[in-house]
Amino acid sequence: MTKKWNLMLVLLLSLTVVLSACSGGNNKEANAPAATNDTKETVDTTTPETPVAEEQSSGLIKATDVSLNPELAKNRKDTLIVGMVDPKGVFNPLFMETAYDFYVNYAIFDSFLEVKADGSYVNSLAEKIDVSEDGLKYTYHLKPGVTYTDGSPMKASDYLFTMKLLLDKSYDGESDPLSYHIVGAKEYNEGTSNDISGIKVIDDNTVEVSLTEYSALSPVELGGVYIMPESYYGKGYKQGNLESVKALNSKPVGSGQYKITSYKAGQEIVMAANENYFRGAPVVKNVIFKTTTDSTNMAMLQSGETDMDNINVSEDNVEELKALGFLDINILPNNGYGYIQFNHNDKKFQDPKVRQALTYGLNRSEIVEGIYGPYADVINIPQSKVSWSFTDENIEKYDFNIEKAKTLLDEAGWVVGASGIREKDGEKFKINFSATADNPVVESLLPIMTTNYKELGIEIVAEVLDFNAIMDKKTKGDFDMFFAAWGLTPDPDNTVFITKGAQNDAGYSNAKVDELMAKGKKEMDLEKRKEIYKEMYQELNKDVPMILMYQRTNMTSVNARAQGFDLSPYKEFPFSLYQVQLEQ
Amino acid sequence: MKQYIIRRLLQMIPTLIGISIIIFAISAMVPGDYITARANPNMSIEKQEQLRAIYGLDKPDYQRYFIWAGNMIKGNFGDSMQHKQPVTTVINTYVWNSFVIGIFALFFSWFIAMITGIFSAKFQYSFFDKVVTLLVFICMSLPSFFIGLLLIKFLALDLKLFPVGGMSTSGLNATGWTYFTDVLKHSFLPIMVLTMLSTGGLTRYFRTSMLEVIRQDYIRTARAKGLKERTVIFKHAFRNAMIPAITLLGFELPGLFGGAMILEQIFAWPGIGHIYLNSINMRDYPFMLGFTIFLAVLTLLGNLLADVLYGIADPRIRLK
Amino acid sequence: MSADVMPITENKNTKKAKAVDTPWKTALRRFTRNKLAVIGFITIVFMFILCFIGPFFSPHNLYDYSLKNKNLAPNVTYWLGTDKLGRDILLRMMLAGRISLLVGFVATFITVVVGATLGALAGFYGKFVDTIIMRVADIFMALPSLPILIILGAVLSDLKVDPDIRIYYLMVIIGILNWTTLARLVRGQILTLREQEFMQATEALGLKDGRKIFKHLLPNTIPVIIVTATLSVAGAILTESALSFLGVGVVPPTPSWGNMISAANNLIDFRKRPWLWIPPGMCILITSVAINLIGDGLRDALDPKTKK
Repeated sequence: MTKKWNLMLVLLLSLTVVLSACSGGNNKEANAPAATNDTKETVDTTTPETPVAEEQSSGLIKATDVSLNPELAKNRKDTLIVGMVDPKGVFNPLFMETAYDFYVNYAIFDSFLEVKADGSYVNSLAEKIDVSEDGLKYTYHLKPGVTYTDGSPMKASDYLFTMKLLLDKSYDGESDPLSYHIVGAKEYNEGTSNDISGIKVIDDNTVEVSLTEYSALSPVELGGVYIMPESYYGKGYKQGNLESVKALNSKPVGSGQYKITSYKAGQEIVMAANENYFRGAPVVKNVIFKTTTDSTNMAMLQSGETDMDNINVSEDNVEELKALGFLDINILPNNGYGYIQFNHNDKKFQDPKVRQALTYGLNRSEIVEGIYGPYADVINIPQSKVSWSFTDENIEKYDFNIEKAKTLLDEAGWVVGASGIREKDGEKFKINFSATADNPVVESLLPIMTTNYKELGIEIVAEVLDFNAIMDKKTKGDFDMFFAAWGLTPDPDNTVFITKGAQNDAGYSNAKVDELMAKGKKEMDLEKRKEIYKEMYQELNKDVPMILMYQRTNMTSVNARAQGFDLSPYKEFPFSLYQVQLEQ
Repeated sequence: MKQYIIRRLLQMIPTLIGISIIIFAISAMVPGDYITARANPNMSIEKQEQLRAIYGLDKPDYQRYFIWAGNMIKGNFGDSMQHKQPVTTVINTYVWNSFVIGIFALFFSWFIAMITGIFSAKFQYSFFDKVVTLLVFICMSLPSFFIGLLLIKFLALDLKLFPVGGMSTSGLNATGWTYFTDVLKHSFLPIMVLTMLSTGGLTRYFRTSMLEVIRQDYIRTARAKGLKERTVIFKHAFRNAMIPAITLLGFELPGLFGGAMILEQIFAWPGIGHIYLNSINMRDYPFMLGFTIFLAVLTLLGNLLADVLYGIADPRIRLK
Repeated sequence: MSADVMPITENKNTKKAKAVDTPWKTALRRFTRNKLAVIGFITIVFMFILCFIGPFFSPHNLYDYSLKNKNLAPNVTYWLGTDKLGRDILLRMMLAGRISLLVGFVATFITVVVGATLGALAGFYGKFVDTIIMRVADIFMALPSLPILIILGAVLSDLKVDPDIRIYYLMVIIGILNWTTLARLVRGQILTLREQEFMQATEALGLKDGRKIFKHLLPNTIPVIIVTATLSVAGAILTESALSFLGVGVVPPTPSWGNMISAANNLIDFRKRPWLWIPPGMCILITSVAINLIGDGLRDALDPKTKK
């Protein structure tokens, strides 16, 4: 121990970066999709559940030889062990922030709506949902006879109670309930009223919500609220102070499939089936969420210590897991993408021809293949290929074409100067480029990009930086180009590309995109929305606000003895836990 | 001596104030805050401002320092932003897991280093000495995650002697002796790696120190008196050779509680190290600051302890 | 190499040399007579030649990559195989050595100079000087290095410092973060030495403080300085790779030994592609063992107590 601990800290960084590197285990990417869960798209909230579409499982590699199953797993008759990164212990749907806390909460709480594998929603706790013509009034009819795991019955008033907690002044969770436009929300938040006038409890099973403004996200925002029992969480609550609610974070009570029986921080969460679950008691009696890390997860699956885990996708890992033979391997597109941002406040990047040239002139397919092999796609619109709003109609692919890039730059007035570097009006084409440290793609991006752009006659100075340092540069507008990855909101509505949008501090502005985005957000009909967003993606594709790099995949491997998971990029494993069976 | 300790303890106060100011300044200068670190692509500007107001991040830095320092004096470390729990609770939840590994590794590494150090010195340039030297440098030339992976591969996967990771068998509802042996089994690999890593350097220090002492006149005198070689080495030489090691012992105190971060990650050990790292990456200031101060206090105490022990072990030293 | 210790002895005793047998000459003679130490020295020289001159003879180029040739085992074209972008490992290993050797030696040099000097001053003067230096050391030990490095990376980036130059900042930073251990060790030894008879003799002779410290006290702490120095070379080389991720170290595609090992970070690479990690691992190992041999040789050579 002669090495000081604080140097160990630095060394550790290399480890996290290095080990999590291949994971694309980028926190940011992992958190974001889950964090934005409440904005998932609604298609039709009243149709009954349909079987999962075939294409969802196109990434499924079935186990080849179940008999190879290790004894340890085979002998575990009534318990399913799921390996995952350790949650923070925030077992409360109001305050959860990491994807792993989400997983726990999904198993413990329910909401009126439930996500389906294709990203649309069906009724869950709601028996029926009435929506007014103008989309401003929602009446939720709660299924009769639902109880919480402490035995008390669920009431429609619990919905109002949960909303009150969300709208409390001291609420510091991730949800943004003020943006739901509920009548009277602001008054409650500011403390000028002790009730939310827009939420009326009609009777024990009916609650009515009125809005001031409709957005395409409203149905899911309202229906996706996880309902918490007032009888339990309301004991010490006073408007303006959520301390008493937070104090119960480690002892949750919900109506869900499972209830926590023991929690050892950083080690495991042991859960038992809720025999009175309103959709019928779960088949597997015990579920344990066990902490694993990138270095242990594969070994633990192999030894049978876990039944399921999410392992970094790479050719090596897929091959290794396939060879084990007893695992069903689900390879699903990740809800996120990698991109290279231009600074639109910089004059040289304001010319679309320059942006197109920089895209044509970058060998994206080699960069992506170098790291992920076949398990990531080069993308050309900022949307997941499994989303309903995805389109490839009239989308330019920007395949690597250095000649075309050179022509475009010439046209834009950037011509090769005496030094071999392109110049325009006496200014040299020089790019200061920053790449986020915790992304494995950097390893192939920097060498290939340097080579490519040098050939184009552009001087590039590259550096690797801490993620937050890059975000800070972005906020300050002090950058030329940077590479990062982030989450993808399943609904195409976001603020990344609209003028002065919350997430658009790179200064991009396109009147057509703004108009289409605003139109899409107000439209209630899905088919019409599809058309609107198709047009918008085509515009983005032409205008190249950023160089879109890749969408990678996630790999969930499940021991073949556990059958019945319904997995998709939108429907994560906890949602179908109650259907899972263990084969003996 | 008593006076010296009191004076040193009093000196800790300005030192700690200095440390707290520097650490706080660092946290204020680090780019980004908890809200940017979350990188939620859907968060509106209004929501960001609301959150900053709730966390008090909207105030000027100097005000934030006084609020924070004032609370620290009252023993209130604040709530961890990530864990939504008091910082002290979070520390208490994880720190003991790290301590368990730390204390065992400390014991074993010092024990092994002493023995090998003595023999390496006694038989300088012998085969044994050369092998030990080589081993030490192999351990130091590979990153520790590499050594960890290596041992998982051989001892856990191939030979199946130990579990791959974690601190106890999942779902094991055992208490008492069964639980104890279960944890013992799980902690073997992390302790082993940690011991290997810390032994290397220590061995070199002990060997050098021993070599120095063996050449001293009083050892020659002892031998000349006809004392047994064993007595000479272990009683006369060793005791004096250990004096410089006391300084090293002082460094170990914060290490015991600081967590072995790389190894916790590799063996999925629920220690405080990776919680701390996370708090830095996520800009969870209350935890980051609170835990840093906690370690700072331990560092100061460790160094004080070393100085005091030094004075006791070597009466020639005048501590003033 | 000897750079770590030379300034201490060299500066002070060259001029006064009258007879043939100056301490420095004795030391040199003793050192050259130590076979292992000479081997160590030759090895280090060889490593430097390999890394600084070797790349000129390579048919490959740092910027070459070829996904077709990825992960090749050692063969005729690629003597040590290729990495996952199809780059020549041998060339990368040699180029990496330039960075790593430089980082290892310069950072260690800074650690030793700062640590030994401050430790000696604190131990010798005691009282107020000791209090100040040791409290500063306490503060340094208590500071978390990771956030500091993040800030440094961000500042260097904001100032648009050329990434190629940042490596020099890095060496200074590693050196500065590490000085406290050595300072405390040296101080501890000097506290003891200060009370010994030979120091009373220097007192009686009326020697100046500088001479007492650098000529009589520090040479006696050389063993511990050498151990720290030899250990810290490998440490600094590995630390560098961690810092690359913060925008302080080298930027890909520029390789370093630490980065090359870290790139082979999983069991699969470990098992299937030993050529990814064995070459850089061996380089670090050979370098640190060689330095250690030199260190041992130097210690024996400079030991005032042995007469030969």
